[in-house]
Amino acid sequence: MIENSVLISTSSTLDTMRRLLTQLLENREVDSVFALRETRQEGRYCYSLITDPSLVSEVLPFHPVMPVQGARALSNLTITEPFDRPVAALLRPCEIRAFVENVKQSQGSLENIFIISCTCPGVIPASRLLGEERDEVLRNPDENIRNACRACTEFIPGAQADMTVIIASDKPLDGAVIYLHSERAVETAEKFDSCTLEKGPPPTELTSELLEARGKALKELLRDIPAPGDGLRSLVSLFSACIGCRGCREACPLCSCVLCDYETARTAHSPELVRAEAKRKGSLRVPSGTLQFQLGRLMHISPICTSCGQCSDVCPVDIPVSDIFIRAANLVQESLNYFPGRDTDDTPPLATFVEKELLDITD
Amino acid sequence: MSNTESRKEINSILIDIVEKALGSGIIGSVMVPSRGPENSFPWTLISDVSALERAEPLPPVMSVHGAKALASFTQSPSDGRLLAVMRPCEARAAVELSKLEQINLDNIILLTMDCPGAVPLSEYGEDGTIEPDLHHPDTLRPLCRQCIEFTSKGDLCLAIHGGLSMVVPLTTRGDELLDSLGMKAESDTSAWKEWASGLGQEREITRTESTDNLQKAYNGLQGLIEAFSGCISCRSCRTVCPICYCRLCFIDMKDRRSPASEYLERSRNSGATRLMSDTLLFHIGRMAHMSLSCVSCGMCEDACPSDIPIGRLVSMVSDNTTELFDYNAGSNSEDPLPLNTFRLEELHEYED
Repeated sequence: MIENSVLISTSSTLDTMRRLLTQLLENREVDSVFALRETRQEGRYCYSLITDPSLVSEVLPFHPVMPVQGARALSNLTITEPFDRPVAALLRPCEIRAFVENVKQSQGSLENIFIISCTCPGVIPASRLLGEERDEVLRNPDENIRNACRACTEFIPGAQADMTVIIASDKPLDGAVIYLHSERAVETAEKFDSCTLEKGPPPTELTSELLEARGKALKELLRDIPAPGDGLRSLVSLFSACIGCRGCREACPLCSCVLCDYETARTAHSPELVRAEAKRKGSLRVPSGTLQFQLGRLMHISPICTSCGQCSDVCPVDIPVSDIFIRAANLVQESLNYFPGRDTDDTPPLATFVEKELLDITD
Repeated sequence: MSNTESRKEINSILIDIVEKALGSGIIGSVMVPSRGPENSFPWTLISDVSALERAEPLPPVMSVHGAKALASFTQSPSDGRLLAVMRPCEARAAVELSKLEQINLDNIILLTMDCPGAVPLSEYGEDGTIEPDLHHPDTLRPLCRQCIEFTSKGDLCLAIHGGLSMVVPLTTRGDELLDSLGMKAESDTSAWKEWASGLGQEREITRTESTDNLQKAYNGLQGLIEAFSGCISCRSCRTVCPICYCRLCFIDMKDRRSPASEYLERSRNSGATRLMSDTLLFHIGRMAHMSLSCVSCGMCEDACPSDIPIGRLVSMVSDNTTELFDYNAGSNSEDPLPLNTFRLEELHEYED
């Protein structure tokens, strides 16, 4: 009965969403709402955990920005214990997928989280919203979204979402259209005023043209960017401007180690080693280990990368980090037949021992 | 002399010195920025003279802070003598890091120059032809525009203003190096000192104006909250800071994690709570830890993807804290670090 149940409202998506969230809080259906808000400073956004229904008026559901990857914030909230009462979390599909991976690695808990997601139109790089052209950029979000978003074919949330708000669609919609995927979602919708509940076509039918365009963009991205196959020299060149700020790692929702392997005394190059290498080669880039760090991260993260683009967004020297990760993830995930965030029961490949595997790439 | 020519001149003089010192075996290795692929300027540790071909001792941008690069391989004393060519703020941070036992300066000579300042990384990324120009502050990073310590740091300094074009020794170690290179020249440095004092005065004015503006824009706790409202917790400010050297920052410690119930409690107190949490705690904590050793290099501000004036804010706080302890970061390796010094009688004016 739930399949393709749709809540339809004649008022705008923004208004419908805010009323829905207010209802959830006021009826104590949830204790809190996890969503994007604009801060006191214009153009600056943050995720917030909201308990006061009157503050829902400040929520900007699925505003095209990603100041922090939602999974990272949710992991922060639930890493020591799950929520003991329901919370409604507004998450983009790549944020849900990343959070599912977090949960698999004991970095958070999905318990009591009511997920409201969307067909995602993508987000705008933070840097484009800081300058004077901000208003112009916001008026044309589609032309200004991240590279990663432009090439994202996983913009429809998976099985973990309780609701899917149609934001991206081939044809503009009148009013709000929200798909209900769980009993809870239907119960919530039934209590919601001024809306009708109907059966709709599967959400994929509303976005088939978009999927085609995104698929094309993904192909182009995979074709155009350098990959390990292009040789070490191209990787050296690609990361040559890296200033070692590690923003990519800190912003990545999947890089969850308290202390990164490349910062440990075990892995960091000793002063003696660096000096000996410099003497042996005649010249050595210092601090050493730029490429080791990037390749290490690529190795650890590519099987579970959800292609959110956050790493490129924070890079102060505009290295196309996420393009590289998307390419690597595409190859690695395909060959491991593992798709991060798709199913909570799939075990992460790096945590799974299979005696006979990957024979095609062994000598 | 145009700005491009002056940078070229500085580069060629510095390379000459380095070549001579390395070639003659007076020093065993040199740390200097080199030109890398894609308009990048990584630091290089060079022991082979022929590798100096790509050296660019004074690049237009600051990619990694020189003291940070130096600390990556000098925690233990190096076997041979090392010459590090760096900007004045990098030499000062190196002195601070030696006090913090992250650099062993025993076998290291610091060679600096009259620093024209650096171009912001983001602007250089868009237009790789911009040159830092002392006389056009708008080409410089905000912290460089208001820098008052732009010359005469380290063991020797290349002076190219006031009619000079010579290396001025500042310590015995610098003296000895010049001696062994046969480069010791008596010369009148008064015009150069006059230039420095003139520019210093101009910069003081810029600095005061900038501080006033910051204080007006971000007054009190509410002001700080606003200043850091765009922070995305990427921690780049911390990672690129030459003084922030901890392997694991206090803010990331496991025992600082809070349970979900505590976040809910915080949210109930004011209706909503911001995530990631503790933005201000992190930045104020960093100010408390760093401000006494801050050399106002501006690395943090250059790396910030959210354009927060963080370098100017930390530098402003640093002005106040260093004045309080009568300390000047990086100026004298003999001055003990205030936070490492216990005095029974001090700061009574801050007691209740």
